[in-house]
Amino acid sequence: MSTFIRTLIEQEVLHRRRFLLAGAAGLGAMTVPGVFGKGRAMAATNDPALAWSYRDRATAYWNSVVSGGEAFAESLGKPKSALVNLINEGSSEKSLSDLKSFLAKTGGNCAIACDANDSPNARPVVEAVKAANAYVSTMWNKTDDLHPWDFGDNYVCHMTWSDVKPAEDTARILFEAMGGKGGVVHLGGIAANNPAIERLQGLKNALADFPDIELLDAQPADWDTTKAAALMSSYLTRYGDRITGVHCASDQMAYGVIEALLAEGIDDMPIVSYDGNPEAVKLVQDGKLLATVYTNPYWGGGILTSLAYHAAIGTFKPSEEPNEHREFYGPTVLITQEDAAEFSAKYIDAVPDYDWNDFWGPTNGQIQYN
Amino acid sequence: MGGILSRENIIRWAALLVLLALIALFTALNPAFLSQRNLARIAIAAAPAMMVALGVTFVIVMGSIDLSMEGAVSLAAVLFCLLFVKLGGALLPWGWLAVPVIVLFGAFYGMLTGLVHVRLKIPSFMASLAMGFVGTGAAVMITGGEIVRIGDSTFRMLLTWRILGYPLMVYVAIACIFVALFIQKHTVLGRNFYAIGGGEELAHASGVNVRAVRIAGFALAGAFYAIGAIFQVAKLGQAEAATGANFMFVSITSVVVGGVALWGGVGGVWNAVVGVLIVNVIANGMVVIGLPNFLQDGVLGVLVILAVVLATDRRAVAFVK
Repeated sequence: MSTFIRTLIEQEVLHRRRFLLAGAAGLGAMTVPGVFGKGRAMAATNDPALAWSYRDRATAYWNSVVSGGEAFAESLGKPKSALVNLINEGSSEKSLSDLKSFLAKTGGNCAIACDANDSPNARPVVEAVKAANAYVSTMWNKTDDLHPWDFGDNYVCHMTWSDVKPAEDTARILFEAMGGKGGVVHLGGIAANNPAIERLQGLKNALADFPDIELLDAQPADWDTTKAAALMSSYLTRYGDRITGVHCASDQMAYGVIEALLAEGIDDMPIVSYDGNPEAVKLVQDGKLLATVYTNPYWGGGILTSLAYHAAIGTFKPSEEPNEHREFYGPTVLITQEDAAEFSAKYIDAVPDYDWNDFWGPTNGQIQYN
Repeated sequence: MGGILSRENIIRWAALLVLLALIALFTALNPAFLSQRNLARIAIAAAPAMMVALGVTFVIVMGSIDLSMEGAVSLAAVLFCLLFVKLGGALLPWGWLAVPVIVLFGAFYGMLTGLVHVRLKIPSFMASLAMGFVGTGAAVMITGGEIVRIGDSTFRMLLTWRILGYPLMVYVAIACIFVALFIQKHTVLGRNFYAIGGGEELAHASGVNVRAVRIAGFALAGAFYAIGAIFQVAKLGQAEAATGANFMFVSITSVVVGGVALWGGVGGVWNAVVGVLIVNVIANGMVVIGLPNFLQDGVLGVLVILAVVLATDRRAVAFVK
């Protein structure tokens, strides 16, 4: 625990120091890339500085993403601290201003991985990077009309995840366990969230192939354990024994469902969830969950840093890559009772040794827009 | 004065009447609502929020407000789990020690909030909100965003062991309600809360140590938040930095819906109990009668306004701020 606190403090100190330096460098530095930018060869001779711009390290998810980025930095023989943390604390303005300070400080000789906090913010971020002739790869947030190939080499790539197919896969596992008949209830995330919509859609897609299974109800429990427990209890009153399976849009809600059922003395209900949190993987191993889905944020964080870095040093030229190498879906790993132990040993108990030069191997195809 | 249907009587019983009307309505639309099993489900859902609402009631009666409950519950829940695991991870022989320790910790945490409010002369809503953030932040630091689980089946009997169809937790909650009622009615402290809420200067002039009573009020609230946190852990078998999420909305809404006036001096434990039940009955009932989810938030809002209108005597106040 103390290591966590120490890292947090170190990281905050760095954060502050960098800010002061950036301030000292001043706006003047912003013009430097303008002067040298055009003339500079594609393959920068300098070692580009690395940064990850994201929300907040306190959540397990982002901690994993940035740990991946640090692992990449270490693979270059650098210390973890070589990866600068640009923490936006959920503010798009801070995200953009920190990023501009970083660009100014490094004179554009940098490789950045970034979640722009919200979709509209991705454009100014990418434009600032382009103006400084630096390199950026993005994750999760960007508008549908913003594409890496419109920015030459500077906007290296974008990675996101589609949850429809994995949610459909878990639904199929659930339906098989239910013997292909009965009633299922769904507990969803915050109704307007994209992952919540996609995960429910996945369930509906699977339902089409199982005519004897009825979707009794699908309501949001806002990704919240307590709300999920209360919603599950209410479902039990309304549908009682007609419920023979539960489809949860996240592990966090599945914990609440399991406890609500435990309170009723029900411990054999087939349940599937999503996210692949360590606790959920343990529950899969213990037979309390049928399946969950892991999106490997660690690899995502590392590979986006690697892609931006290698574009910056000229290992490959992004503009010569096909579109599926510029916009792609991240990997998803389905965890079932058969492979949970193996998964746990591979991803949780130990950190796999990733090949950070295998840029696109584990990805899941080009992003499709509706 | 004025018989059974006097204005005072109607306002006094309004919250309870609203609760009964809601139960009648939901039962008419789906008889399963009134089944013993469903009532037990509502009781389980209500138990942790009930403790938090009881705590904040004392503070609101004093005319202050306490918004630290989310951080306090998260931190108490996380510390409880860690301590419980440290003490062997089972209720016996030593795990039970975590219960009094965490309740005392809650009181200490509330006392800090009270001190910040009284000594630094920061308005209670700001002082408590800030202390709430401190609690959440501390919980994040301690857990590093991870979940702490308690698997001990003896401790979980609070949820799983049923007497007459209701889990043990519900009986403990009822006992806590009686403790709160006792504090309110039969202790000097309880009466002083009303004295301060009714008129601070007057209370001060009458020899009440207003500062000490305020700090004691926050400490008492903190102890109840800690009990709420322990119930929450018993209910979910785990704690994390987000364990206290939503408690602010649920508890403040419940207390106000039950007829405790935010300007202090009016209402008490009984109103909080009815208020928590109203909010939980609505949440459960809307799903049980099959109300489409996009209507649920709107209906909840309307029902809350309706309950407040009926349950609070607003003729007594000249203006509302």
